[in-house]
Amino acid sequence: MHEALLTLGFGLVTAAILSLSALAFTLEYSVTNVANLSHGEILTVGAYCAYLVQQHGGGVILSGLAAAAGGGLLALAVHNGVVDRFVRRGIGGLPTFIATLGVSLVIQNILVIIFGAANLGYTVPQGAPRTVGPFLWTDTEIQIMVSAVVITALLYVIIQHTRFGKSLRAVSQNRSLARVSGINANRVAALTWLLAGLIGGYAGFILAESVGTFSPYSGFSFFLITLTAAVAGGLGKAVGTLVGGIIVGIALEFFGGYLSASYNLAFAFAILSLVILVRPRGLFVGGRRSVFE
Amino acid sequence: MIDYLVSVLTEGSIFAIMALGLNIIWGWSGDFDLAFYGYVALGAYMTLVLTIGPATSPTTYILGLSLPFPIAVAIAVISSMLLALIVGAIALRHLRGIYFSIVTLGAVYVLYTFAGQFVPLFNGYNGLSGLFDPMGDFFNLDFTSYPFFYLGLCVAVLLVVLFLVTRLSGSRFGLALRSLREDERAAAAFGRGIYVMKLKAYVIGAGIGGLGGALFAGYLSAFNPSAWSPVETIVLYAAILVGGRGSNRGVVLGVAVMVMGLQEATRYLPEIANQPSFAPALRLILTGVILVLFIRFRPQGLLPERRLRDKDPAGTGGAAVAVEGSVAGATLDTGAA
Repeated sequence: MHEALLTLGFGLVTAAILSLSALAFTLEYSVTNVANLSHGEILTVGAYCAYLVQQHGGGVILSGLAAAAGGGLLALAVHNGVVDRFVRRGIGGLPTFIATLGVSLVIQNILVIIFGAANLGYTVPQGAPRTVGPFLWTDTEIQIMVSAVVITALLYVIIQHTRFGKSLRAVSQNRSLARVSGINANRVAALTWLLAGLIGGYAGFILAESVGTFSPYSGFSFFLITLTAAVAGGLGKAVGTLVGGIIVGIALEFFGGYLSASYNLAFAFAILSLVILVRPRGLFVGGRRSVFE
Repeated sequence: MIDYLVSVLTEGSIFAIMALGLNIIWGWSGDFDLAFYGYVALGAYMTLVLTIGPATSPTTYILGLSLPFPIAVAIAVISSMLLALIVGAIALRHLRGIYFSIVTLGAVYVLYTFAGQFVPLFNGYNGLSGLFDPMGDFFNLDFTSYPFFYLGLCVAVLLVVLFLVTRLSGSRFGLALRSLREDERAAAAFGRGIYVMKLKAYVIGAGIGGLGGALFAGYLSAFNPSAWSPVETIVLYAAILVGGRGSNRGVVLGVAVMVMGLQEATRYLPEIANQPSFAPALRLILTGVILVLFIRFRPQGLLPERRLRDKDPAGTGGAAVAVEGSVAGATLDTGAA
């Protein structure tokens, strides 16, 4: 029992990172209807930004901010440079999806040229593990989880209680209708991608903190798990995605802890395929209405 | 110089065979299949375990037979087709668009993980090796003449595949597949069995991919997971897109440009000290940029698929039916959404 609770504790850390990444992915999807295959690179670039700041003597807070800024700028660039041009010309979801795969290839290999393909170490003083209730967490892990909760709460407030959030919801439901109602849909979409990039870049930073190493490819591997969480929760639906992230994060940790960590990715995809085949619109459709519906 | 040219041409022919297979799945049937390189890899692995003889410690792999190369290739192709039958039967049943792509991406990652982690299968990340000059002894070839023989073999197989694929392309099956790609609901309304046709196309395409993989194994004489990171599929897609999606000659041209051309263009780059991955990384960056630019500015490719002409332009029936079909499709779409 005790061991199961410890595993649950680690699972919550994974879930925190995964939920942020999946929320960012779902935001991107909601306003453009494009599944962004270069989403993982936002996390990777976030991790490298944090690494650079740390190398120059910056603290944890500065590293986190740099990661968010790097991710945000990248997401904005991908949106304005590629995705928006495709969406506005009426090039469909699938060709744009393929184009983002090309973008992902480009970013990965630019990072390979600048930093090399090998793993870089990202070490932060973790602090001694301390007992919180039945769980055992280090200071860093607590910081990861608290920040994830704060960011999610902020995002909720932005989406539900600001003017921008209202336009975001309008664009995600029906872009043309939003435009004829006087909403600048392109601007809203660009700002949403910027917001998603800020969250994604930060997710890359806490991923690097928690794993301890990263490479130009780590974002893409983590993206594959992100995809599982986002699809399980229903693409484009924020609350569902959040729940999907938490469930998949915990499930992965239990699978890794009790069976084999090497097969983690395969296990995540087994869940994903099952969900798509049985409930293609997400596990939680038909229940409580989510934020975007 | 000649040696180099022979190796580039051999590699090009092998990639052209793979791309022709993928073109059936993506170009004709319209399914963006990310699992394709898995079938290539299975073809390569099966060829190796069927020809290199029993495993000696510390390597471990299944089978370990010493069959003649052609028989091994045939079995490899069949294994790829069987695997495609399983994946396709699940993924093509209800899924289209990005959901199909996501599930096939999942399938290839599961395969990749198992091939890498489950050592008893194909010796894990170390991979397999030991297939030297297949059929070389049979024809009494030495190491100077062998590359020419293998180039001839690959080109011959490419020509046979090209011939068969061209025949298939103009057949009723090939035409019907394109009608699915253009408007699945309309095709269904005209009585096409969508699922079975798409599955057939998927299995045939994967079989050709497996054949390409088998020849690739003979060319490399070894295979391991680093040779087929799922990124390789993007290179094939870029080649098809640049050449002309759906057009067989276009696909061969696309491979010439994207695989051989890019290789050549980046060959004379100055070597950068302690940056061995510079040229391959630059090649992949160019591949990605070209992919994006072609989707945006020339989605039909350099050598576009020829559109069929109406053989009876005087009769207006065809056009009217086509319009009705698309209207029906639109109604159904709104109904489903």
